[in-house]
Amino acid sequence: MKTYRSYCMVCAGTACVSNRSFHIKEALEREIEKQGLQDEIAVVTTGCNGFCAVGPLVVVHPEGIFYQQLREEDIPYVVEEHFLKGRPVKRLMYSPPGEQTPIPKMNDIGFFKQQRLIALRNRGLIDPERIDEYIARDGYFGLAKALKMKPREIIQEIKDSGLRGRGGAGFLTGLKWELTRKAKSNGGKFVLCNADEGDPGAFMDRSIVEADPHSVIEGLIIGAYAIGANQGYIYIRNEYPLALKRLIIALEQARNYGLLGKDILGSGFDFDIKIVRGAGAFVCGEETALMASVEGRLGEPRPRPPFPTEHGIWSKPTNNNNVETWANVPSIIRRGAQWYSQIGTETSKGTKVFSLVGKINNTGLVEVPMGITLREIIYDIGGGIPHEKAFKAVQTGGPSGGCIPAELLDLPVDYESLSEAGSMMGSGGMVVLDEDTCMVDIARYFLSFTQDESCGKCTPCREGTKMMLHLLKKITEGKGTEEDLETLEQLAHEVKETSLCGLGKTAPNPVLTTLRYFRDEYEAHIKEKRCPAHVCRQLNTYRIDPDACTACGLCRKECPEDAISGGKKQPHLIDQQKCVKCGICFDVCKFEAVCID
Amino acid sequence: MGKTSKTVQINMDNQRLEVHRGLTILQAAESNGIYIPTLCAHQDLSPFGGCRMCIVEVEGMRGFPTACTTPVEEGMVIRTKTSQVQAERKEILQLILSEHTSSCLVCDEKVECKEFMGTIRKAGVTTGCRYCPNDDQCELQDVVDYLELDEIGYPVYYRGLRVEKEDPFYDRDYNLCILCGRCIRVCQEVRAANTLAFKQRGRFTVIGPAFDRTHMEAGCEFCGACVSVCPTGALSEKARKWEGKPDREQITTCALCGVGCQMRLLIKGEKIIGSLPAQDPVVNSGQLCVKGRFCVTELVNHHRRLRKPQRHQNGTEVELSWNEAIEAAAAELSVCAPKQFGMLISPNCSNEDLYIAQKFARVAMGSPNIDSSTRTFYGHGFSAYLDLFRQSAPLADLEKSSDILCVGLDARFGRSVVGVALRKAMKRGARIVTINPRPHNLALMADIWLKPILGAEAGLLRSLVKMTERKNSTSRTRAKGQGRGLTQDLLTVAEMLKNAHSPAILVGSEFLQHDKSWQIFELVGRLAQNVGARILPLPAQNNLLGSILMGTYPEILPGGFSSADEKKARQFKKSWSVNLAQFSTGWNASALSTGPRLKVLYLIGENLPGFDQLADFTIYQNIYSPDSPTVDALVLPSAAFTEADGTFINGEGRIQRVRKAVNPPGDALPDWEILCRIARKMGKKGFDFSSAGQIHREISRSVMNLGRFHRPKRKPVPLTWQGRVNVSRPKPSGKVKDGKQIPFLLHASSAEHVYRGFLLTAFVEGARQIFPQDMVDINPKDAQKKGISQGDAVVVSCERFQETWTANIVDEQPPRTLHVTLHQSASLGANPHRVKVKKKDV
Ligand SMILES: Cc1cc2nc3c(=O)[nH]c(=O)nc-3n(C[C@H](O)[C@H](O)[C@H](O)COP(=O)(O)O)c2cc1C
Ligand code: SF4
Ligand code: SF4
Ligand code: SF4
Ligand code: SF4
Ligand code: FES
Ligand code: FES
Repeated sequence: MKTYRSYCMVCAGTACVSNRSFHIKEALEREIEKQGLQDEIAVVTTGCNGFCAVGPLVVVHPEGIFYQQLREEDIPYVVEEHFLKGRPVKRLMYSPPGEQTPIPKMNDIGFFKQQRLIALRNRGLIDPERIDEYIARDGYFGLAKALKMKPREIIQEIKDSGLRGRGGAGFLTGLKWELTRKAKSNGGKFVLCNADEGDPGAFMDRSIVEADPHSVIEGLIIGAYAIGANQGYIYIRNEYPLALKRLIIALEQARNYGLLGKDILGSGFDFDIKIVRGAGAFVCGEETALMASVEGRLGEPRPRPPFPTEHGIWSKPTNNNNVETWANVPSIIRRGAQWYSQIGTETSKGTKVFSLVGKINNTGLVEVPMGITLREIIYDIGGGIPHEKAFKAVQTGGPSGGCIPAELLDLPVDYESLSEAGSMMGSGGMVVLDEDTCMVDIARYFLSFTQDESCGKCTPCREGTKMMLHLLKKITEGKGTEEDLETLEQLAHEVKETSLCGLGKTAPNPVLTTLRYFRDEYEAHIKEKRCPAHVCRQLNTYRIDPDACTACGLCRKECPEDAISGGKKQPHLIDQQKCVKCGICFDVCKFEAVCID
Repeated sequence: MGKTSKTVQINMDNQRLEVHRGLTILQAAESNGIYIPTLCAHQDLSPFGGCRMCIVEVEGMRGFPTACTTPVEEGMVIRTKTSQVQAERKEILQLILSEHTSSCLVCDEKVECKEFMGTIRKAGVTTGCRYCPNDDQCELQDVVDYLELDEIGYPVYYRGLRVEKEDPFYDRDYNLCILCGRCIRVCQEVRAANTLAFKQRGRFTVIGPAFDRTHMEAGCEFCGACVSVCPTGALSEKARKWEGKPDREQITTCALCGVGCQMRLLIKGEKIIGSLPAQDPVVNSGQLCVKGRFCVTELVNHHRRLRKPQRHQNGTEVELSWNEAIEAAAAELSVCAPKQFGMLISPNCSNEDLYIAQKFARVAMGSPNIDSSTRTFYGHGFSAYLDLFRQSAPLADLEKSSDILCVGLDARFGRSVVGVALRKAMKRGARIVTINPRPHNLALMADIWLKPILGAEAGLLRSLVKMTERKNSTSRTRAKGQGRGLTQDLLTVAEMLKNAHSPAILVGSEFLQHDKSWQIFELVGRLAQNVGARILPLPAQNNLLGSILMGTYPEILPGGFSSADEKKARQFKKSWSVNLAQFSTGWNASALSTGPRLKVLYLIGENLPGFDQLADFTIYQNIYSPDSPTVDALVLPSAAFTEADGTFINGEGRIQRVRKAVNPPGDALPDWEILCRIARKMGKKGFDFSSAGQIHREISRSVMNLGRFHRPKRKPVPLTWQGRVNVSRPKPSGKVKDGKQIPFLLHASSAEHVYRGFLLTAFVEGARQIFPQDMVDINPKDAQKKGISQGDAVVVSCERFQETWTANIVDEQPPRTLHVTLHQSASLGANPHRVKVKKKDV
């Protein structure tokens, strides 16, 4: 490959693309050509860098200068200043919130500094649509090594690495492979990659596939060889068109290079991969539902045992792993279990990708070593809570994870600690909540998601979550009784213990954890008919502060019930008898004159 | 370890048990008498694990595994009734009941209400206020009782869904549904009909055909399998609603077609309130078709049932006692010369009835004139059709068949149990080919649909026969008058049959009334020989073979011997000690309207239009009153198949018991008994029978061994007979004069939903929806050209007839063809007919 003086890595992850990063790329190419620099400066498109909040972004290598929030108009200036005159443009660099001095280099930015990249090791560094760039960064070396090993040795290596499933339950990957390898079959075995990623707000898997599709494919080939499968499936959700496109390209390239198909790399091993596009329901990510869906049946979970390792797709032994799990495999084989198992904690090895969203400054995608504390993630990487609000809790593990309170900020992030705290690793969602969040309302919000997504097959989940949601609504509307609280708690345990699949078994987590850490908020709603965070509108009393009111009349106009009276230059007044607590006056007042008692 | 590798040792509720490996915990419990409450599990269906009622504790397993889905393992320690398990079950049950209209289940007055039938409504009735048609037969109630639930701790939210009543035979009230999915599974797994699915998700889940179609549109066969497995009252049979729990059951054989399904009649008091499939492994494997499942009750309980003998004379009807009626009959018959007597009997009757009927004609009346209207149903292909039985095989052989050719078969409503067997064979990998010019239910599932041009069916079969002849491997034979694509398909099918290791041919009814039916059946026979296929003819009449073997045709003697067989004739004459010049004189049913007028016509289970005009005097013996007021007849009430003992011989040649379940209504008697009484009154010998069993013994002794009456033979009897029923070729099909217009081709089938000469649609409400009457199927394009819309009255005519029917527009009806289904007595002669069609002027 030709080498250049500089490389402009233009982020072409989904978020940056929707922020016009392809226009940035074109502008760059245009300007570079205009300046006659095309033989010195290369423009490369990459997958998501994780810091989507400040996109579209471009990183200039080898220095690692990080440009953010670029607009097309900026490009001629950047090219002229940076590439022609060698003066990186300060105003387009990133400055941490509340600070003035920009940080020029990517690796000096807090968001990136603490990360440790294994699954995402190629992010931002290669063009995901070119297999050569992947190979140039040691891609498929793991596979070449694996094909010289005995399947048993590969499985042992994965077991020794301590790798656990990144899709939810954290099952030991090597053990799962071994079970599938040992299962008897009268007609083949399958490997499956779960790229359904149904958690709202989570985009770890999408990002891996977009940034480095070959890492997943290489993982699957190694796994298939170790397990003895000749057919693989990648089940990817339909809402991920870019990831899908890159996957299709990558598979085609791998086939052309003899990495898929018959007699892979002359080893005599045959294997190929089919893509199955997901229908979109959250529950389809549950592996038994996923397998039914691969077969073309209704994506509905079924009880286990029998486990998929014996009775999977078409009733044949099937090893299913999450995208991130597969993406870790090539590095483990290439660098050895010894290396991998040094990262992380006693029981949770390696790194984990999280998507950081909610009330946090640096939203985005981060890969961190296991055992890092929540505080480090939220404050060091995430840059803390915006507007100097207080941190209240973090919801980990997706909509059916739990809410971990501020007291536990120093909790190390690993499978065991999270589940002891009543939450879970899940697939890696992290929603940060600040002081303005009502914990009853947030439990209601998450539950309403899972309840909508319940497939309806089993009684506890279908009926139980419906009932729980009903009780939560009652409480947020101020109609709850102490008995309701008891029923709610009992139901939550019931649903958790008796539901058929993981969805029902975890759906009560937000309720159970908020009851555990924020019971006083529930009690305030019930006993005092008060929402401490002023979120539950039915519990608020709206009042106009006569000193702040400028008598602009806006609230009077907007109030749907004509509950507000007042004339010119006269402080306005809310008639509490008429007020239906819609909160519109609070929202519209430009002078913060409407207060909540 | 268990003693053998086939078993495992487990510990359940502190009992050490040795059970089969591969069983679920639930199965292991049930086979050891340990009760675990269940709602979604069903012995015939795959495990589902949805209701969560069967949760148990297993040492070493997290949470509460469900007994119905978890396989037993060596050394498993299972506890089925710990207090925690019971408490969880109670909670789950309450959740189920929180949206189930269930106040009765937990009502304070529950016990008293049942006992005294008091009502909280201030009405002058003592009915109780039970909301569910399934009351007392509901599995949900059983579980409520078992768990002693007397209160629902959650707010109750009924779903308020509309009760669905628009489809025939059963209603659906999904407010009572607990989403156990049994109906879906039975429809998919057992019936392979795939009518039902879960619609929507989560709390909105409901059951029904996908895409909001009605059951009718979704291809439902109305087999009722879903209704049978529903644990609640969500699916309820219209005809049985509110009948309550039966007091007893009787196993018998269905009399509505030649498959001969084994069924359980549900009886309350002296009334049949329902019919369900019996678990019979050889014929119907626990399935029924819509006729057996849903039509029997209404058929046998209809208000048109005859209860007393009657004398009809010029529009007056006088009720008679049996003595008076027998005397009147004997008086007329005693003075009737053998030649002036004629008798027709329906093949719906039992062997015992049939045997006595022919004996009555031949011995008591000394007349050869016995026949059946079956002759007209089958037409001139009758003997060729009967010849197929010589190569026939039992239905169970479908399980072994690799390649199955279906000739003129539709298995949606009638014979749907055969459809089920076909779909099972398909799942197993068998290939299915269907020959039929018209849309039919196998068209969708078959691998290849050979669709001959209407009227060219024989040509197509001839090509197949040629292509499969050993020597002729050139295979270039072009099917006459068939398109190129079809020729390709024909070659494929011929190759397939030639190479098949175990081919079978199923013969339905589509081509029976065809002007080439004789050739068609002969060709089917040859094809079977060419490729070594077994043949399974599927007769429409339950006891067609009985009528042949009992000899109720002028050409055929009991045992199937030809009446021209001098030696046999002599034997019978001797054993019956009759003096009869000739058994065969050439008279048959078709002579009724054309031949010399009879003095007495005796009809048993037969219903001919204007029958009282065909002879001077008619004895009409049947279960329903005649269709129109009769001029002069003796009307005798007989017993339906649910009310008399006897045997049938189904299409496989299997002797099957029919058992009396209830007494016949009023004074009605079994056919054989009426005949015997009259014969005795006439002073004839050889009619001293007091039970069907005695007749059966005489048949076995003097005609053919039918096995023991109370325990009929397991294996089918060999179907060889010498007698041939000769039916002359009918008049050539009609012609039209319509200028230069190419005529339409009309195919008229004879209805098969017939019992004792009557269409089921006359008595069964739902049957009218699935067996459209006087509806003529027409292609949409043709309809448009002729300005005809769905439901219009249309006139179909040719030189010989002019009929007015209702238009039914069917997408798949081949262009310029028409199809109609008629009662056999309204038969137009052999198909196809060249006709013209127009919208009726108003
Ligand atoms: C409701 C539900 C949704 C799930 N969705 C996903 C998903 O989107 N992606 C995923 O990898 N695993 C998902 N899982 C977990 C899978 O069932 C399975 O455990 C996982 O794919 C196994 O891979 P791993 O061992 O590599 O983690 C889901 C589980 C449940 C219960
Ligand atoms: S737990 Fe919920 S999603 Fe899972 S099977 Fe039951 S109803 Fe379906
Ligand atoms: S909108 Fe605000 S400032 Fe204006 S009148 Fe209403 S309360 Fe006063
Ligand atoms: S009646 Fe039979 S075919 Fe129709 S839905 Fe029920 S099981 Fe399926
Ligand atoms: S209709 Fe009956 S069988 Fe079907 S799911 Fe509902 S309760 Fe179960
Ligand atoms: S898409 Fe560019 S940083 Fe995520
Ligand atoms: S009977 Fe086992 S879950 Fe329903």
